[in-house]
Amino acid sequence: MNNFSMSVKSANDIIVIMPNGYVNDLGAEKLERACEQFFDKGLKKIVINFSDVQFINSIGASVFTSVVQKTLEYSSVLCFTNMKKIHRDVFDMLGITKHVRVFKDERDALNFLKDTE
Amino acid sequence: MKRKWDLKRLIFNISSLVDLGQEVTSSKGFNEKMKTTLYVVTGMFSVPKAALFVYDSNHHRLELLTYKGLREIDGISLYIKARHTKTFNKNEPHNIDEIRNNSFYEHNNNAFKKLRTKTFIPLFAKDEFVGAITLGKRLVRASYLQSEKDVLKVVANQMAITLHNSSLFKKLTAKVSENKGLYENMRHIYHDTIQAFAAAIDAKDAYTKNHSYRVARYAVAIAEELEWKEKDVEGIYVAGLLHDIGKIIIDSKVLNKSEGLSLTEMSEIKRHPHISYDILSKIRFPWKDVAHFVRHHHERVDGKGYPDSLTGTDLSEGMKILALADAFDAMTTDRPYRKKLSLTEALHEVKKCLGTQFDSRISNVFFRVLQKESKGETKEAQILPHLDKDFDPAIIITLLEGIIAELSA
Repeated sequence: MNNFSMSVKSANDIIVIMPNGYVNDLGAEKLERACEQFFDKGLKKIVINFSDVQFINSIGASVFTSVVQKTLEYSSVLCFTNMKKIHRDVFDMLGITKHVRVFKDERDALNFLKDTE
Repeated sequence: MKRKWDLKRLIFNISSLVDLGQEVTSSKGFNEKMKTTLYVVTGMFSVPKAALFVYDSNHHRLELLTYKGLREIDGISLYIKARHTKTFNKNEPHNIDEIRNNSFYEHNNNAFKKLRTKTFIPLFAKDEFVGAITLGKRLVRASYLQSEKDVLKVVANQMAITLHNSSLFKKLTAKVSENKGLYENMRHIYHDTIQAFAAAIDAKDAYTKNHSYRVARYAVAIAEELEWKEKDVEGIYVAGLLHDIGKIIIDSKVLNKSEGLSLTEMSEIKRHPHISYDILSKIRFPWKDVAHFVRHHHERVDGKGYPDSLTGTDLSEGMKILALADAFDAMTTDRPYRKKLSLTEALHEVKKCLGTQFDSRISNVFFRVLQKESKGETKEAQILPHLDKDFDPAIIITLLEGIIAELSA
């Protein structure tokens, strides 16, 4: 059973993605595809709000490595917010957070991106 | 601090190996399973671009099975000779620079560039080369620590076994399918041969053209109504076709004689079930009891039949079915010594002989089948098409309803 879902909202040129549930199977690829589509449309500021993410395993981590890779290829800005410590630790360990901006909450990320070209 | 991170790394690796174990043993389809395992590996080592290949030894190629993070690589494959595989360390990650001077790399230079390969892992299940993984640049430091290489080797080993098992399963499935085809061909040949025999038996007796075939069909109709297993139904069909095979050695003049038979001639004819048995018991049929059904198709439930005067539990369901099917066809077809009975007369005759010549339960089943066929309630009629059409179905249905009600009372 796929326990992953996500919602997307936009504010001007900023996209906010809220993954929900377990990021532990190929169902999470939709997050990767969604980011790529936004980048293709020329949107270069993405916030991923982790407040509703319960669990991330190696498959989920793989999805985020792809999202980060695409961010780099499209010279875009990716922000992570509301991360639980356990998820932050895994992302730090995998080098993912070296390539993204991490904020305590979504508002901080939006304020940062507003001032970013 | 370093120790704390080492511990976290260790826990993450163990947890990822558990993920891998769950994926390779899951009931997912093979391609989805392999894609997920590739995600596990790339998640463990933060590799955004990777591909998994399966080895096709017939064409000396590594065929793309699944990939991640790469574009425009569909259909890509790597050329590899058996001698190349000997140069690899089994299931160990090779930095692409290590194999740059290898002719395998030279052959596939462009493909490796498209795949953004930084690390190449040859997959071996025991000593058999089964596939490979290509990994792109990592998000963390480029090189792998020895501890990471050790974990990668464990993961590669697991993926190699999964690939190998799938390959074995595919070969086995192909073999099973091939054998099934061969078996079906053999079965058709077998059936055709048996039918030819049945035709030869019936040809000997001018009055019994297609008798064996009809008896076989009637017996099948009863056996199916009794919900026999498919294989057993096939067995009684064959028994029906061959039940008179012993007549082959009975003198045609006796078989076709229109006037009364002498005692000697009668006992000559009565030899045929025994002869049939002698012939058929030498054949190792794939169905059980064919020879026994045939031997006893002239037995009666009151023990007055031949050749063994069996009665009670010594008479199996199959014997009783064949006896009824044979007698019913004899009643409803012309014989040298009498004209055939109408369907109504034949049904009355069967009913009259219940408990003496015929088994009541089997006969009741037979009546039920006929009733269903008369009402058009069966998918395929097996009895009515072989009878003369000079009866009124409504009368037969009423007659059968009466007989069935009487027997059920």
